[in-house]
Amino acid sequence: MLDLRPRMLSIGTANPPDRWSQADLLNRFQVSDPKIVSLFSSSHILSRHLYLPPGKHDGGPEEETQGDLLRKHRRGTIEVAPQAIDRCLAPMGLAVRDIDYLCCITSTGWLTPGVTAILMKHMGFREDCSRVDIVGMGCNAGLNGLNPVASWAMANPGKNALMVCNEICSAAYVFDGSMRTAIVNSLFGDGVAALLVRADERDERSFAPKILGFDSHIITPAIDAMRFDWDEEQGKYSFFLDRDIPYVVGANAEKPVNRLLNRHGLKRRHIGHWIVHSGGKKVVDAIKYNIGLTDHAVRHTHSVLRDFGNLSSGSFLFSFKRLLEEGKVRRGDYGVLMTMGPGSTIETALIRW
Amino acid sequence: MYETLGYEERGDIAFVTIKRTRINVRQIRELERVCDHLDDVSQAKVVVFRGHSEGIDFLDFDPKEAMDIHGFNKWEKLVNRIETLEKVTVALVDGPSVGGGFQILLACDQRICVPGATFQLPEVRQGFLPGMACYRLAKYVGLGHAKRIVMTGATIGADEALRLGLVDAVTPDLDAALKKTIDCFGPMHTVAFTLARRLLNESFSTGFEDGIGNFLAAQHRAISQTAFLDTLRAEHKKK
Repeated sequence: MLDLRPRMLSIGTANPPDRWSQADLLNRFQVSDPKIVSLFSSSHILSRHLYLPPGKHDGGPEEETQGDLLRKHRRGTIEVAPQAIDRCLAPMGLAVRDIDYLCCITSTGWLTPGVTAILMKHMGFREDCSRVDIVGMGCNAGLNGLNPVASWAMANPGKNALMVCNEICSAAYVFDGSMRTAIVNSLFGDGVAALLVRADERDERSFAPKILGFDSHIITPAIDAMRFDWDEEQGKYSFFLDRDIPYVVGANAEKPVNRLLNRHGLKRRHIGHWIVHSGGKKVVDAIKYNIGLTDHAVRHTHSVLRDFGNLSSGSFLFSFKRLLEEGKVRRGDYGVLMTMGPGSTIETALIRW
Repeated sequence: MYETLGYEERGDIAFVTIKRTRINVRQIRELERVCDHLDDVSQAKVVVFRGHSEGIDFLDFDPKEAMDIHGFNKWEKLVNRIETLEKVTVALVDGPSVGGGFQILLACDQRICVPGATFQLPEVRQGFLPGMACYRLAKYVGLGHAKRIVMTGATIGADEALRLGLVDAVTPDLDAALKKTIDCFGPMHTVAFTLARRLLNESFSTGFEDGIGNFLAAQHRAISQTAFLDTLRAEHKKK
């Protein structure tokens, strides 16, 4: 029987045009609180792409209302997502009209009709393209999306499924001078990643990796550790990150990884490539020491964090792209994809080239 | 079973005896199989690498063929596997440790040798490099001694090796010294043990800021294990 498991065939990424260093941001927002300055000055993030509000006469940024932020999310989606999608499809000789299933993921803005509908209108997808929007699941959502995308692809051999992780994190920013918002504001960046998935015998000789399986893990006692909730005083949604997240995630990281690998009769030493979400320095350290990964194994996780910040659901695809560009992957190699986010959640997937 | 090695387990201890004293492809494969067994099957808490080695077998290389690096990469992966085994690793050296044999010593947690043992990295004199000994050796003996040993290929005797910190003990009675060493390690808390070893191995190449992040991640893992809770309970009981 033909092995018709879905493959991760092509990937495209894009970011908004403006790139800011951490020092640029401190200047721009006229931050002088030494605690916040020190937070922005740690070296694991060097630059991020962001949509910042226009400057006022006194040099500071204009205040953004929740309405402004929602409009920013929509504008970012329309400007950036099509570039990522084109970069994903063009190398395959495909256009959006060839896409049969569209899954869009976002946690940085609320839109109804959703991101899929907006992109279909702006890019000219076929009107019979099936679609699904995954909204509000956070940084782990790329794998929560890849699971149904892979299932859809397997159930519809030969058809093209496109997953788009569309995160305009600067549309979820609140600047109020507190450490709570400073932590968030120092970490997240804007970016979109698009991934083409297809199960097709025509791809039998393709080098692209097959998706073999998933394993999920939720740590419900830590449900409040990462949350996006309403700040009455600011009149905006505000993201909250608990300081214990790295440890909660670290202490549980082995569980889904062990289940995933055991199910496929593999040991950790058989995994050639680890593609871990660039959640932040501490959470990556926790993953490293809890599942025994070297700095080398998380080199792309670190470099994506350094160059883009945390891109939420799309981060792992940016790392995945860097891994492919490096040209060291060989046929037969196994890879584990791993994303972490609110819930608290750890999502994993096993792939093989 | 194995052709180039001997393998047996006695109680908590796995003994790997180096039978072939020139490292060849077959021996590397067999050492990989030993590591698979130690990782996947064996309940042993201590692994002892015993014997001596004259280093790489040049007959494995054909001077008429183009050279490639992949065999060296395979070797380095093996040494790193030995270095990261979730067991206490002890090397018992009863003769010369040359080249690759020397490198395996550096990957072990403890090294004990007989008075007649010698240590040498002749690779540079032979026109190649002693693998990641260039990375590991200086951490044991300091850069000055490492340069002398690597660049001149000097042969180091047992007493000098002890003075340099290259070995932990010199004794004609390796078995007695092994018993003493194992007793020193006390209860084996695998997680704390392997984390401490990893942090130490990383200590020279990690800056303080990264180092403390690594330490906190590792410490959290350690204090979440039953071994630490058992210690707490025992201490509370005493009061």
